Amino acid sequence: MTTAIIDPTAGLRDAAVSPPAEAARPDGFPGLRIGLLENTKHNADRILKALGEELAQRHDVGALVHRTKPVFAMPLPEDLVEELIRECDVVVIGIGDCGSCSASAVADGIALERVGIPTAVICTDAFVAPSQAMADLKGAPEYPFVLTAHPIANLSDTQIADRGRELAEQVEARLVLSDSLAGSRS
Amino acid sequence: MSSAVEAPVLDPEAAVSVIDHVYAQGWSDGLPAVAATEKIVRRFLEETVRQPNEVVGRHPQLEREVTVRDVAVSAVMAGCLPEYLPVVLTAWDALSAERAARGGGWQSTSGPGALIVVNGPIREELGINSTGGALGPGFRANSTIPRAIGLTVRNGFGIRPRELEQTTVGTPGRWQMLLGENEEESPWEPLSVETGIAADQSAVSATLVRDFELVDNRSFTRAEDVLADLVDTIQRSGALIGPHSPSGIILNPEHARLFAGAGMSKQDVREWITSRAGRTEAELTAVGKGLSGRGDGPFAPDHFHPTIAGSTPAHLPIIVAGASNAAISLVFRVLGVWSGTSFPVR
Repeated sequence: MTTAIIDPTAGLRDAAVSPPAEAARPDGFPGLRIGLLENTKHNADRILKALGEELAQRHDVGALVHRTKPVFAMPLPEDLVEELIRECDVVVIGIGDCGSCSASAVADGIALERVGIPTAVICTDAFVAPSQAMADLKGAPEYPFVLTAHPIANLSDTQIADRGRELAEQVEARLVLSDSLAGSRS
Repeated sequence: MSSAVEAPVLDPEAAVSVIDHVYAQGWSDGLPAVAATEKIVRRFLEETVRQPNEVVGRHPQLEREVTVRDVAVSAVMAGCLPEYLPVVLTAWDALSAERAARGGGWQSTSGPGALIVVNGPIREELGINSTGGALGPGFRANSTIPRAIGLTVRNGFGIRPRELEQTTVGTPGRWQMLLGENEEESPWEPLSVETGIAADQSAVSATLVRDFELVDNRSFTRAEDVLADLVDTIQRSGALIGPHSPSGIILNPEHARLFAGAGMSKQDVREWITSRAGRTEAELTAVGKGLSGRGDGPFAPDHFHPTIAGSTPAHLPIIVAGASNAAISLVFRVLGVWSGTSFPVR
């Protein structure tokens, strides 16, 4: 006789039906304003900077827009979301390298996709579980996040530059239509 | 004390089956948990004036909320008595004021638990221990009230280990950190009174804690020596992950009386410590934690970085607790910073 026992997790399954979490992708990089949203985790800003420089070298991008998420574990403040909508065509988010900030980066990515902005979220490979758990929780279990090797906090200058370069290809594939990438790199 | 049920016969074998069932559902924190039923939860809800659907905890990142009823279910499962429920609910009031708790602290790699401090007459009414062995084990209220918080984090917010929760190793006694302040043996005003609550009002304070360390200074002769021992412990670099290492003290009554006997108020003690605890840039660099690469740097090697960012009760809470049988105090490390607010029990 187990029917009378209260399920303490019952409230977790009340999630509403969620809209799709995949914005339409632009047809290539030329002229794109690329947002680089760093989350204040150690070296996140430097890796995103290196990544941005690599993207700018490979494509005729419109602009690199550097922004900072002030509280890495919390949802993006509304004014920052509006700024990103205004000033960016696509946004790179990272780097999730802790329990709360990896999940939060995925939540931010899904939220921006739902307002029409293509995103690439970067987390370290030690935090697949909370990243995936957040994607599930937001009703977007298929939402892809880009993985980079853990840890990032102790990389040298050279390793940071390398890491930015290495991430470029995966990030490109997340941000624009795949057909547009064939042969487009300058 | 009032049990939530009046059972005509005790059936231990059925109890084992129920416990196994709760484990099998994934609802337990690893220890046996009590199964909640509508009847038992109703009995708990009789102990509060709050409405069952009132929201008492929110998790903005996960967009999840927990209600009075959800908390009552966790209190049942944790092994609380019905009359503990108002303290569990007030602990949620206090935790809801903690930025770290709202902002992902429950998922943190450092694995913090809620340190819950109870002041006022409810300590006596519920049997909350504030003297010998105040941090347990062995005292039902001290052990089960914080466990109810942990079960709500797990089952109400859905934050489970190795999923949304990413604790690296963990904190011993993570969901066991509740104590009363030993007001009877303290020479000073209680923590709750420092924050503006009336002396006869029962109140709860809480913050997220990720470490405890002993300051065993039982053969003392001078207040300054014990204060320096506290400073030496607080300024250790281990817990440091930025410029500051927010801390608090569970101060043994013997140490508190020593300081009071030397003419010091609690605030005097706080300022003595916060003005001295710290490390130079060179000392931090020697352990790989130099701050020159960060925002306000670079710093000269002899630049002094204070461990504690300020001198209010929120920056360094001091709680008098434990027995007067050996002068052992504890330093604890706070994740984020305490709100500096206590909440009346309701």
